[in-house]
Formats: sequence, C-alpha cells, structure tokens
Amino acid sequence: MKANLSIDTVLEWIGILVIFSIMSAIGNYVGYQYPFQESIVGMFILCLISLVGLILEKIIPVNIPSILYISLIGLILALPISPVSGVIIYYTSRVELISLTTILLAYAGIAMGKDLNEFKKVGLKGILVTFFVILGTYLGSALIAQGVLITSGMI
Amino acid sequence: MTNDKRRQYDKELFDYKLHLSVLLIFLISQYIGELKYSLFNQVTIILLPMIYALIISVILYKSSKITWINIKQSKTASIIMLIIIGPLIAKLSIISGQNINMLIDVGPLIILEQLGDLGAIIIGLPLAIILGFKREAIGMTSSICREPQMAVIIDKYGFNSSETKGFMIVYIIATVLGALILSILVPILANIIPLHPYSYAIACGIGSTSMSVAGISALTSLYPQIQNQLMAFTSIANIIALILSIYIYMFISLPLTEKIYEKIKSK
Repeated sequence: MKANLSIDTVLEWIGILVIFSIMSAIGNYVGYQYPFQESIVGMFILCLISLVGLILEKIIPVNIPSILYISLIGLILALPISPVSGVIIYYTSRVELISLTTILLAYAGIAMGKDLNEFKKVGLKGILVTFFVILGTYLGSALIAQGVLITSGMI
Repeated sequence: MTNDKRRQYDKELFDYKLHLSVLLIFLISQYIGELKYSLFNQVTIILLPMIYALIISVILYKSSKITWINIKQSKTASIIMLIIIGPLIAKLSIISGQNINMLIDVGPLIILEQLGDLGAIIIGLPLAIILGFKREAIGMTSSICREPQMAVIIDKYGFNSSETKGFMIVYIIATVLGALILSILVPILANIIPLHPYSYAIACGIGSTSMSVAGISALTSLYPQIQNQLMAFTSIANIIALILSIYIYMFISLPLTEKIYEKIKSK
C-alpha cells in the first residue's frame, strides 16, 4: 500500500489545494464582499476534508473513490450533534459554491483543449447521443424524485 | 519515478502562469456575472460565470498568441481538476449534514430515484440506433457513462468490444461537455417542465461530480431563496448514486438495454 502514496504526492495535493483556496477567497472577497480571512478559513476546512479523503482512498485497500470519503466526512462533521458543526458551517458559508465551480470549469476548459480533435472524430452524432443520454437521465431522475417527494408528503 | 522526473512534474503542477491565467479568467467571469435572456417570453436562458470561464479558457488554449497555455498545461489542468473537485464535494456534503433532519424524511426514497438512469435508455437508445450506431449503442445509452459503470462494461464485454467503444464515446464527450450541457439544460427544463425545484435538485445528484456541481449551481441561481435545501438534496442524492449506481447498472440497466436492443433489432 505504501507504494501508492508518497510524501511528494501529498505535498502536491496540499500545494494545489492552497492555490485553489487563495483563488477562491480572492473571488469571494471581490464578488461577494465576504471578509478574505473568513473565506480562506472556510476554504482550508473544505481542503482539509478533501485531503483526508484523498489520503484515505490511497491507504485503504478497498476500491472506494475519494469523493465518497469526502462526502461522508463533510456530512458527519456538519451534523447537529457534531461539536464542530457551528464553526464549520459558519466559515464554509463564506465560500460560494458557484465561485468554486467557475474555477473548476476554467481549468476544465484548458484541459479540454487537448481533446478537441477527439470530437471531430466522433462527430456530431456522438455529441447528439450524449446530449440525450444526459437529458434522459436527468429528466428520468427528476420525474421519479417528484413522485417520491409527493408520496412522502414533502411537497 | 526518478527524482528528476518528479521535479519536472512538480514544476508543471505549479506552473504559475497557468494558475494566474485561471485566476484572471475566474475574476473576469465573475465580474460579468449572471446574464438572463428571455426567449419568446417563455423560456429563460441563464448564462452563468462558469460557462464563460469554460469558453474563455478554451479560447486561450486555441489562441496562438497565448504561448504559455498549450498541450502541457492542458494535461496539467486535467490532473488539477481531479484534486480540486474535493472541496466542492466537501461544501455540498456539509450542507447536507446541516439539513440532515429534512433528508432523513426522504433519504430512503431517494434510492428509488437512481432508477432515473433508465431515462437514458428510453430516450437515448432509439436515437442511437436511428443514427446508425450498432452494438455501440448499448454502451452509449445504458447509463450516464461514468467511472463506476466503466468497470462493469469492460468487465462484461472486454475493452476492445463495440459496447465499450460506444461507452467511451459518451464518456469522453460527457467528461468534456457534460457540465456545459447540464448548466444550459437545467434552467431550460425548470422553465418548460414545472416540477418542484427539490425534484430537480435530487436529479442533479447524477453520480458525476462535475455534472452535479454544474447542475446544482445553475439551479441555485434560479431559486436563491432555497439554495441550501437544494444543495442538501443534490449532495445526498449524489452520495447515494456513488454507492448504488454500480449495482443498478450491473443488475438492471445494462441487461435491460441489451434486451431492448435485441428486441428493436429483431424487428
């Protein structure tokens, strides 16, 4: 297992997460007037949870994606019974989801650049089918969810 | 990895020109902000900062004047994406922990929502066949084609099969365009098919993180007053999807797609 995770890799993750935190805090300060210090603390909390998730994925010898660990840690920490939930909820509310998404998609656009030729090969037909697969999944899920919510008296 | 190679790799990951460019793209996109257009006074199209960010960065990559962003940075960016998606998920899961009482009421029922994947087969499979795809259509339309399903399809049909090839086509296109497609689709659908915003939020938990995040970001900008509840639903649905989607694919969606395909072909 050791071979999967070196100190260098962890340091790289930390470095990237710190850069991401600074960018996001700047954006939240400029765009939403949140105090820079509060946004950056919020980002550090989110990044720490992610880091633990990334490390767990590597050291636990079961094939579980890091995203699942991250989801569960975040959820548990924010539960009403968690002693740190107040602090965590306060600071992370100083980070807007949409600003994180915007940074992610800026990297995504650059990452996409190298695959543009790939698309010409598959052509419009592939894109069309993909579009309808996403539409079908999304609409199918929403319709079932609507039924579920009505049945449970939630809406 | 040898030391030299490792150092080289470090340097690429921390390429400051790449990060500064992204920061600039981010700030410009945020500055432009949300733009709303009304089409025929019925359908509202919302353009979000994340869409400009995606488009600007593709243009930067393609531009011959921007010499510091090319194939190398493109590869680096795809590694960085995998790391920074973590904090986005953490943010969503914290909101679901905060709203746990609301979620306990519906949590078990959200499991049913996973069957929404079948929508891809119903709409996608006939279309793929009409467009002339053969057995590729099975791989393409049996799911939303994310990593959990990839393992299953390769295991069942082999890597060089037509089914896997079809899967990979949708996988690649959805990886690149999925977030864009959802962020455009979500506001349009919310307009023309008036389901409850909670239902659409649950549907955003699609099992693909970047698509989930893009979808829910678009949805919260439509309903800012209830954005926390919406994010809580998406997050919990995404967690359930991550756990269950592989089994639903293995035992329900994939065999079903195969059956429907055979039926359509035998006619």
